[in-house]
Amino acid sequence: MTQAWRDDQPIWRQIKDRVLSAILDGGIKEGEPLPSVRQVALDLQVNPLTVSKAYQELADDGLVERRRGLGMFVIEGARKGLSASERNTFLKEEWPVVVTRIKRLGLSAQELLKDIEGNGQ
Amino acid sequence: MTEVLISAKGLAKNYGKKQALKPTNLEIPAGRIVGVIGANGAGKSTLLNCLLGLSDYEGDLQVMGMNPLMQRAVLMEQVCFIADVATLPRWAKVADLLDWVAGLHPKFDQAKAIARLKTTTVQLDSKIKALSKGMIVQVHLAIALAIDARILVLDEPTLGLDIVNRRGFYDAILSDFFDETRTVIITTHQVDEVEPILSHAIFIRDGAVTLDASMDVIADRFLAVDVLDTQKAEAEALRPLYGRSLLGRTTFVFDGVAPDQLKTFGEPRRVGLADLFVALAQ
Repeated sequence: MTQAWRDDQPIWRQIKDRVLSAILDGGIKEGEPLPSVRQVALDLQVNPLTVSKAYQELADDGLVERRRGLGMFVIEGARKGLSASERNTFLKEEWPVVVTRIKRLGLSAQELLKDIEGNGQ
Repeated sequence: MTEVLISAKGLAKNYGKKQALKPTNLEIPAGRIVGVIGANGAGKSTLLNCLLGLSDYEGDLQVMGMNPLMQRAVLMEQVCFIADVATLPRWAKVADLLDWVAGLHPKFDQAKAIARLKTTTVQLDSKIKALSKGMIVQVHLAIALAIDARILVLDEPTLGLDIVNRRGFYDAILSDFFDETRTVIITTHQVDEVEPILSHAIFIRDGAVTLDASMDVIADRFLAVDVLDTQKAEAEALRPLYGRSLLGRTTFVFDGVAPDQLKTFGEPRRVGLADLFVALAQ
């Protein structure tokens, strides 16, 4: 399968994001191993160093740990920490952009909330 | 410390008055996949031929600690070379070919090659001329990957192959050859296709190496951004390498300008090797 890589981010960053999503939506559970660097490199047809870099970043973020001879494992509590940091990122970076757009379009809070509740039911 | 497999100092090659390769310094350790990128006649093949001991040269060159001209026979036990895959003798049978390689090459594992071919549609008693291009690639791969080489040199390896076979070719290199003890050197015009598997890129232009860097460094150094005409002068003040106008915007490529500085114009993005090659050629 051909991978479509976006050009706004380095490939290692996009691989890291995919692992983050997998942890968030439970595709890879806490305590479970990440697939081997070699396997991911082959599946995605990328250089193994690129995968290693993504994994190293995840380890630096404290989300996975290297177990000698066994590979990388998602640490306990990674998902909770990740949801918290995702929420934080949303509120700090994405929400202000949305708010600016809401103001520009002149939408009222009532109109917006009605939609959210409507979809929720 | 990673072992250095190829080391060149002042490596140069002249054909009469023409300088095919200007004095070049290179150091290539194990564990890399290096793309050598350049136009036709830029000096890519000259460089590969020097590394392989197929051409004499000036300057100092060591491949696996050996002099490729003086110790070529020993060196070829460690180095494997695939040029354009369509060059096997057409009149030979696959099985005969494997026998000859076994007779010629001390490190060729014939059983491994046969095992690999058994997983393909190639029949050992077929003649090469009866095989499709895809099957010929399989024969090439079976021979090359059954040699326990440290350096694999690929010169336009997938020329004339369809997409499926090209992918299969690089799949096999990644899964059955490459690891941290080995190095692969690839020249190809299908840059986009090999870019994701490269760890390093070397650009050659008019016989000179114009860029020799890891993909990480390239991603950090070079950024492109689309600039509105109203901000064009401001962007040009940051000395872009290259600019191309389209529909009221200009795409500029910058070298070593911080992403935060570029964000005032738009979202910076990484530059593909093919675009970078064009930008650096300006």
